[in-house]
Order: sequence, then structure tokens, then C-alpha cells
Amino acid sequence: MSHFSGALQLTDLDDFITPSQECIKPVQIEKTQTTTGAKISIGEDGSYNQMDVSGSFQKLEKVEITLADCLACSGCITSAEGVLITQQSQDELLRVFQENKKCDKNEAKLIIVSISIQPILSLAVRYNLAPNECAARLAGYFKHLGADIVVDMSLAEGFAVLENQKEFLNRFKNAPKTLPMLASSCPGFVCYAEKTHGNFILPYISTVKSPQQIMGSLLKSTLSKKWDGKLVYHVTVMPCYDKKLEASRSEFFDADSQTRDVDCVITSIELEQMLTREGITLLDMPKSTYSQPWLDGNEEIEIQLTRNLGSGSGGYSDNILKRAAKELIGLECDEIVYKNLRNPDFKEILLQNNQGEVALRFAIANGFRNIQNVVQKLKRGKCHYHYIEVMACPSGCLNGGAQARSQDGTHSKDLIVALELMYEKLPVLNLYEINEFAKVIISKEEMMRTEYKAVEKINTALNIKW
Amino acid sequence: MGKLELNQTLGKHTGRVWNVAWHPKGEVFASCGEDKTIRLWSKEFGKWSNKVILADGHKRTIREIAWSPCGNYIASASFDATTSIWDKKSGQFECNTTLEGHENEVKSVAWSQSGQLLATCSRDKSVWVWDVAEEDEYECAAVLNAHSQDVKKVTFHPNKNLLASASYDNTVKIFKEDPSDNDWICVSTLSSHESTVWSLAFDKTGSRLATCSDDKTVKIWQEYAAGNKEGIPTGDEESVWKCVCTLSGYHTRTVYDISWCRKTGLIATACGDDVIRVFKEEENSDPNAPNFAMVTCIEKSHQQDVNCVAWSPNGDILISCSDDGEIKVWKYTE
Repeated sequence: MSHFSGALQLTDLDDFITPSQECIKPVQIEKTQTTTGAKISIGEDGSYNQMDVSGSFQKLEKVEITLADCLACSGCITSAEGVLITQQSQDELLRVFQENKKCDKNEAKLIIVSISIQPILSLAVRYNLAPNECAARLAGYFKHLGADIVVDMSLAEGFAVLENQKEFLNRFKNAPKTLPMLASSCPGFVCYAEKTHGNFILPYISTVKSPQQIMGSLLKSTLSKKWDGKLVYHVTVMPCYDKKLEASRSEFFDADSQTRDVDCVITSIELEQMLTREGITLLDMPKSTYSQPWLDGNEEIEIQLTRNLGSGSGGYSDNILKRAAKELIGLECDEIVYKNLRNPDFKEILLQNNQGEVALRFAIANGFRNIQNVVQKLKRGKCHYHYIEVMACPSGCLNGGAQARSQDGTHSKDLIVALELMYEKLPVLNLYEINEFAKVIISKEEMMRTEYKAVEKINTALNIKW
Repeated sequence: MGKLELNQTLGKHTGRVWNVAWHPKGEVFASCGEDKTIRLWSKEFGKWSNKVILADGHKRTIREIAWSPCGNYIASASFDATTSIWDKKSGQFECNTTLEGHENEVKSVAWSQSGQLLATCSRDKSVWVWDVAEEDEYECAAVLNAHSQDVKKVTFHPNKNLLASASYDNTVKIFKEDPSDNDWICVSTLSSHESTVWSLAFDKTGSRLATCSDDKTVKIWQEYAAGNKEGIPTGDEESVWKCVCTLSGYHTRTVYDISWCRKTGLIATACGDDVIRVFKEEENSDPNAPNFAMVTCIEKSHQQDVNCVAWSPNGDILISCSDDGEIKVWKYTE
């Protein structure tokens, strides 16, 4: 069973042939050129050695398909799962922690962990802890493993919301043809759009990076001077598997430093497994604090979790609507109430201006079936929304595909309700403060933006589908 | 004993004929195939003739067609990954809606009895349920990834919103709508076939399901609702489906299609051994362990694989179609 969201599970799967057999991604092998035929021998360890003209052996590079290769290929997506297991797994994370402990202090990497809100709530329910305590103990767990700094992803979430508001207002006023603007923070949806609908859908998707990737840029670029030349290894804690694919996108790879903005994504369910494997629960971990390296003093603070206004998927729709209503139609909307459409995962809100005309049409569409309805409506020119918060998982990110499963046989829907209630009780992030921060920290807008490209369908003889 | 008599052979399609489907009134039927056309057949001077050809709807083979219960729409499933809806609003059948979403070949399409739902399935292993909204808008109500392989066939229950699907993963799955979020969920998996399940058909009550397979057998499944008098254990409120009869030893190759007549209760099968067979439940047979006997069979009914059989609504005519490019009309008499 694949761990990806429904949107990705369905993309170019194949029967009859297993993914590994079907992977037709050509891989370039780097080896020295020979003019005559090369002699290749297999070593005792199973490695391949090529004998060159002088008679000396050169070990051949093993062919490896990376996640980035998978993203660039129009073939299957599920075969990427095998790659994930080696590149972005709990084992890899533990290995990095171990190595870092062993190596010389000057060479050690600075390990920073960014934690998003959804996994904290998932684990809070799992271990029966209050959210703040859960986050504190989770921070304690990462410090126990060897993390140097643990930070709250909410800063990046705030940045993402602000930048989305800006982009929406700009599109609405200057480029109405690029509406509806579609949320970009769900990698399942973005990847599905790139592979399946290409240039048709991509212009509608917001060009603002997801919070995960904003955090990556912030830590690896904007704040790079803070780390005294140390290499940063950046771990994010996320509610879904698809985030691993996002972290592997070539857009988020820095050729100069040869590192990614996010080196490893670890999910709620994997954290649960790591704890179980160690035979401990979060309760066994001491409470720790979050750091704020973006402040001058880099002070440690007691954890006070916040949430965004609106949905548990980052609250994009509510926040953008609130700002748009104010700036475009002079309306203060204090209460935003959506109307469910055909199913509760597709809901809309229509706001009227002073003349009583509908001026803003916003929607939230969760789950793969509703992605289909959005895409098909767009294709037929019948999609009249200005903004749609699109997420691949039913019920959005609180129900992310890699959130911990219910323990006591509680129905998964009850679990989502519990998570939603917990989320709603958190204090709302102060966007005004975040905006003040942004003015100081964000020197250039590009740091917050990214781009998408359609994946061309490969039509080679190797890829014929009967 | 019954008798099938060849009435007419219809050879207009070029290439394989994949499917035939009766209009609910039984005066017209449609056929489709490799030549990417849908043909409508009706009787003229006592002979079936091809009156209408619907072309240009699909870029690849049309695998299956289905009439809406009102008879005003035809849905066609194609290897080009789309499903087209043809309507008669302009007086003639025209394709006005195309449903996209499947990754590759759509294998089957079915309407619910109310005409409010449409189901499709594909080689992409998924089953999709579409809601027929106003103005011929079709909304995706569910994408079901329950099967682990190619899904060959979908069909709705004759009077409930219950959907059954047959797959290359050797199983049949039954789905129903979950009222809490209007999504569809798999409520049973019927495992017993040892190879691909190619087709399936409910009887007129919907409490029985017949399935046919690459394992050369036909199986009859009986529904046992919660609290059934036989004392068969069930889930909370879900029925269980139990295989109560396996017809083996008759078919010598893959059984591709099965049609359960809602009028006469007769079961007809289409087989890769070029034979059409008709089965009848024996009188006084135990409903929990019924016996079915073969009442007739036509050897070499076609020159190649028989792809589909379809009883007319009256139960007096059986239509078959084959890889040999022909459609045959058979008259059934007791």
C-alpha cells in the first residue's frame, strides 16, 4: 500500500508490470571514456569495476534513481516510494544524528528541526497530551536525538499566508485571467497537476512556496550567516508523505552548496514508529523549548502554539478572503461561513459588495474527487471562483496521509473531528506581528516564490501502453 | 431444455465488436468496438438493420456502452481514457459531455437504476462514481482505489445505490455511499475466483450476483443481510455475500461475459472457446445451495472469442458479439 495521497497514488499506475520494471528513466553513468571496448568485472562486494587501458580498475558508479528523477519523469510515481525509503527515512535521519555525534566538533553539522502544527496535534492525540506539552516533549525528543535547534514552522506559515494575500490581490487587479488562484502548499496536488494536466492548470497555481520550503530558504539562505560557516542539516516534521517529494524538487536544491533547503522530511506516523522502536513514548522525554534564530538574540522560548485563521490546512482561503474583502470591497468580515456543496469536502463562500452583487467567490476543495471536479470545471470554463484552497487529502492537512492512526479503534472520522477541535482552540497567529518580522527578514520576494513545469509525457518504445 | 436459434448475423463493424447493449424498451440495441463507432440497430420489415452510426466520439476502441434507464442517454467507455455521454436533445444522438479523469483505458461504464449516478472503471485500477447534476453536469462523487489491479467491469444493483466491480485482482468489490460525507466506501470483497473476474450481473431482485472468470468458472453469490434467518454471521449492518454455487467443467476457456435475464432468470455466458451457453436454476433447488443446469449451448457460435452476451428486456432474444467482427441475434425458446 502506497503512503502517498490519493492524488499521487492514481497518477500513472500500471498493472501487469511492477513499478521497478516499468521505470524507464534513463540514467547517465559517469565513467571515463574508452576508445576500445571496456572490460568490466564484478568485485566480491558486488560492485562493478571497469579496467581501463592502463590495466587499472575503476569502480563504476552504481545507478541510482533519485526522487528528483521521479519528479522529472512522466512515468509512475509510486516507484518513488522505494527511493523515499532510502533517502528520506527514519533510518537516514537516525544515521545523520549518529554520525554527527561521532564526528569532530568543527565538522559537525548544525541540525535544525522545524515542526509544523498538524503532526503535533496528531501526536498529542496519540499520546494523550495537551498540544503545548506535546510540542515541548517532541522538541525534547529531537534534542535527545542530537538536534541543535528546534523551531516552530508557524513563522513560515504566516509568511506564506501574507505572500498569498499579496499574490491574490495582484492577480485580481492586474491579471484576472489567472483566476481562480489555486493554493500551492499541497505537493500532492502540485505534482498531480504537473504530471497530468501540465500547462493547462499550472498558471492558476499560486507561485508562493509552501511553508516547508519558505522555512528551508529562511534557514539555509536568509539566516546562513548566523551559523558560523557550519553546514545546516534541515529536518521538517510534516503531516504527509508527499512533502518528501516536494523537498526533493530541483527548484529547492542549491547547486553552490550542493544541499537542499529541506534535507529530510519526517512524518507523524514515522515519529510514532521511531518512538515505539526505542520503546518509549513522548511522556518519557523532557520538555524543551523552541528557538527563534531569526531574532538577534536567538532566544529560547517556552512553547506557545498558534494556528492560522480558518482551515487546518494553513487557512489560506479565510485569510486571503478577509484581506481581499477589506481591500477590494471595503468589507470587514469577522465571520466566514462556508456552504457545503455536493459533499462536505467541497464548500464555497460568496461575498457581496455594497451593491448586493457577488464580488468574491472562494472555495475549499479537499480530496482527490474534488480536485477532479475543480480541474474539469476549469477545463470547461465553468469555474467561476476567484480562489480555491485545494488539498489532496480529504478534510485537508489535519487528516494528512502520514498522520498517526487512531489507537483505540476510534473511527478515523472521529479522530479528524478531535484534531479539528484541538486546532480551533489554539490562539490565532498574529499576522500583523509576522508582517513586521517579514519586513525585516525578507530582503527579496523571490525567496518566497517558486515555479512549476509541466512534465512531458515520454513516448518511447519502452513506454508503450497497450 | 431450451433452444437458441440464429435469427440474423450482423456484420457492419470493422474489427472486434466488444459490446452490445439493449435500449430499456427492447426495440433498439447498440453495439461498439474496435472501429471507434457506436451503431444503433432497430427492426425494419422484421430484420435488424443498422440505422445510426455514432462516430468521432473517441480516439481509440470503444470498450462498452450503456443506456440510461430512461433511454435518452448513451454512455460510452473508451480506451482513450474518456467516457462520453451522448444525448438526443437535438433529435439525434450527439456527444455533448466527455468525462475525463481516468489515467488510461476505461473498461466499463454503468448507470444506476435512478439514472442519477454513473460508474466507470479503468486499467488505472480505480472505480469512479459520477453524480449526474443539473444541466448535464457530471460531478465526480468518488474515486475508489480498492482494487489492486485493472478493473474490468462495473454494474449497479437493480434497485439500490450499490455498485459492484470485477477486477484482474481476482476479486469482486461492492461499494455504497457513506452518508456522513457522501463518499463511497467498499463494503465487501468477494474472493473465491482464482483468476481475473471479467464480468458480473445481478439477478432481478439484486440479492444474487453472478460472476464469470478467467478461471473458467461462473459463480453465484447470495446476499445475506444482517439478522438473516439462515444465521449467517454479518458485520454490524452490512450484508455478506457468500458464494453458493460454482459452475465448473462447462467452459473450456476464459468466460468473458455473463447476462442474467431479469424476465426469465436464465443466465447466458460468452466464452473464449467461441461457445454461448445458457444456464437455468433447477426447480426446487435449495436457495442456499442452488443447482444450475446448462439448458443449451451453441458450439462455434462465432468464429472467435465471444465478448459479450445480452438478453433483451423481454428475455426472448439474446445478442452476442465477437472478435470475429460479427453480431448475432438469437431467438430463445423453451
